Amino acid sequence: MPDRLRNCLREYRASLNLTQAELASIVGVSRKTINTVENGVFVPSTVLALQLARALGTSVEALFQLPD
Amino acid sequence: MVSEEPLVEVADRASRRRAIIVTVFALAFLALSLLAPPVFRAGDPIVQRMNARMWAVSAIFLLGILATGGSLLSPKRLRALVNDDVAHTNRRTAIGAGYWIAMAVAMGLYIVPTFRDFSAREAVFLIATPSIGVALLAFVYLERRAHRDA
Repeated sequence: MPDRLRNCLREYRASLNLTQAELASIVGVSRKTINTVENGVFVPSTVLALQLARALGTSVEALFQLPD
Repeated sequence: MVSEEPLVEVADRASRRRAIIVTVFALAFLALSLLAPPVFRAGDPIVQRMNARMWAVSAIFLLGILATGGSLLSPKRLRALVNDDVAHTNRRTAIGAGYWIAMAVAMGLYIVPTFRDFSAREAVFLIATPSIGVALLAFVYLERRAHRDA
């Protein structure tokens, strides 16, 4: 599962100086969810991916990529 | 003035606490099943009946935790955070692991020749005990992994 989707969530979050808890609060999910997405343990649903992209002011494609 | 703790932090703590509590429940259930099994032992019928009831109540209670994720008495928003997508996925995976253990034991009981036949109660005990235990411990493992580095 983890090698099916790459993500830059941690980098985007860090660039906005947000903690996992702060991003979780904005999106309305648990810190565990942010952590598992960042670590590639959990592949987010489409809705969550869109919410994360909106919260970080970017696009889903910029946050998540399929491996080459 | 008391500052209110963010709900995300409360949910994080509740989720970690749940992992510890479920571990204790799972180990207690397995220990109870091993030390005071409701079947396979001749003895005082009153004690046997009590063991059987205790085992059944524990099993139903733990199945309830597996089915719902627990935290039923918590406020709705907190419960939604504790039982979010990751917890749902972990629960599904854990229940799947328990299911395959149940199937393996059931097939084993059916196929492998034994020195005697099992009663329905004995078979249910042999199938349900390890499958519930494994499902709970798998859930705890996945939850703890999800919290790692958070």
